[in-house]
Amino acid sequence: MNGGKSLRRGRIVLALAVAAAVGMVVISEGAYWQSARALDDLAEIGNASSDILRLQQSVLAAEAGQRGYLLTARREYLVPYNQALQEIDESFGRLHRYYASSTSSATQLDTLRALTDTKLSELAVAIRLYDEGKAAASTDIVLSALNKQQMEAIRALGTELLEAQAVQAEASRVTLHNTLQGRRLAMALLTAISLFALYLFLRRTNELRQQQRRLKDVVQAERDRLEIEVAQRTEQLTELTRHLQTAREDERNRLARNLHDELGSLLTSAKLDAARIKSRLGGTAPEALERLAHLVQTLNQSIALGRSIIEDLRPSTLGNLGLVPTLEILAREFADQTGIAVHCSLAAVRLNATAELMVYRLVQEAITNLGKYARARSVWIALASHHGQVEVSVRDDGVGFDTSAPARSAFGLLGMRFRVEAEGGKLTLVSSPGQGTQVIARLPESGTPRTPDA
Amino acid sequence: MPGLALFPLLHIYLVEDSPVIRESLIATLQELVPAEVVGTAADEASAMRWLSEPLQPVDLVIVDIFLQTGSGLGVLRAAQALPQRHRLVVLSNYATPLMRSNCLALGAERVFDKSNEIEALMSYCATLTADPGPGGNA
Repeated sequence: MNGGKSLRRGRIVLALAVAAAVGMVVISEGAYWQSARALDDLAEIGNASSDILRLQQSVLAAEAGQRGYLLTARREYLVPYNQALQEIDESFGRLHRYYASSTSSATQLDTLRALTDTKLSELAVAIRLYDEGKAAASTDIVLSALNKQQMEAIRALGTELLEAQAVQAEASRVTLHNTLQGRRLAMALLTAISLFALYLFLRRTNELRQQQRRLKDVVQAERDRLEIEVAQRTEQLTELTRHLQTAREDERNRLARNLHDELGSLLTSAKLDAARIKSRLGGTAPEALERLAHLVQTLNQSIALGRSIIEDLRPSTLGNLGLVPTLEILAREFADQTGIAVHCSLAAVRLNATAELMVYRLVQEAITNLGKYARARSVWIALASHHGQVEVSVRDDGVGFDTSAPARSAFGLLGMRFRVEAEGGKLTLVSSPGQGTQVIARLPESGTPRTPDA
Repeated sequence: MPGLALFPLLHIYLVEDSPVIRESLIATLQELVPAEVVGTAADEASAMRWLSEPLQPVDLVIVDIFLQTGSGLGVLRAAQALPQRHRLVVLSNYATPLMRSNCLALGAERVFDKSNEIEALMSYCATLTADPGPGGNA
């Protein structure tokens, strides 16, 4: 219906989702590297600040060690002095590496180095003079104003460097903060885009599902309509078959009556004429009498033929004698014609005239069929009534057939089935190759017993 | 016609719906028996109207089983109920054993098959001309 539109929208949704995912990865990676660098910078700034502080402490420690020695002349005071000298050297080594990139701070560091070296050389000179026994000269150096100024200069320069470090640290912190803030906004935006894409996707899925449901409803409605139509057509066909069946029996009845009344009358009339001619001839013309006898014989044959045709069209014995004797006659005639042994087990049953005729036709059709195809040696015909149900059965010991295979004479069987069903009964066919065939019809008994009459 | 003066005529009433048979049967009976057909009917009602009249000059009633309306069996049954006695025989195409016994039970004297017992009927009628029997007025 709107496939093109849906497809376009599907592509947009996919592009949005992919863009959001790529964006998230890029932003997240960038933020990581930038933040990592900023944090490293901060760490280095921190390290440098510690080194400056440690340098100042070491200079003070060296001075304190020197003073202790000069006052007490005990050698153990020189241990912290020497340790401080070593630490000062190490701190400068680290600070040189740190400030190598920045020129302004490097010059400050050089100044600090020079000041410190000067201070340290003075400390060393005082110790040397003291060791040489020139204690007064040593004390002069220690007490000189220059000494105090040098210390102040070192402290001031150190503080200056620390402040520069603090400024740099603040700058790094602001950079980091800005980076994180930017990433935060970008992530929020991308999350919103992703949510929008998800919303579009869900809406599209829902639309598809509704479309499928509508399609299914349409298919179901069509199937229902077809089923109703098939049921109607089947009913019409059943009606038509019943109608044709009735029309056929009516037509046979009409034919039989016409043959009986018209042809029968003409033949009887001819025989009456023959009787008159015979009487007139008397004994005068023996040759003519002979021809006349032949004519009468021909007429008798015609009458017999007419009767057998009429009997086939409409079993008059059914009306005159009832179902059981009619079936017995049918069975006897079949046995005479085919040489197949027929065993009858027939009980009087209560059926109306049309049902009796149906049973007669069913047995007639069944034995005609088995005479044609079954190659049977024996046939069993049974008629009985149990609990309000009449059961007719025709069984043979012939070749049988596969009932699931397409029927040889489908119309014969269909016709039988329709006839039985038209009387409210049910037809069952039992057969398999080599096992013979049995046709069974069960139909409801009629209320009033039928007595044969004229 | 020879013999017409020698024997008294047999008076016959014919109940038969086929005009073809009626005509040839009348001609045959008159020629061979000899007999006189005093009346005919094609259905049960008119047959019974005629037969129920008192003092009808009839010796024999020949009845077919299938009629335009009603049936020969109905005629036999109704004739039994009449005060006057009639001699009735059946001439039918349906002379099955069962039909024969039914007709005889309803008072028919004989049953003849139209197809192959015409001559038997003629000789039966011939014997009646000598002895008209019950209901006869000759």
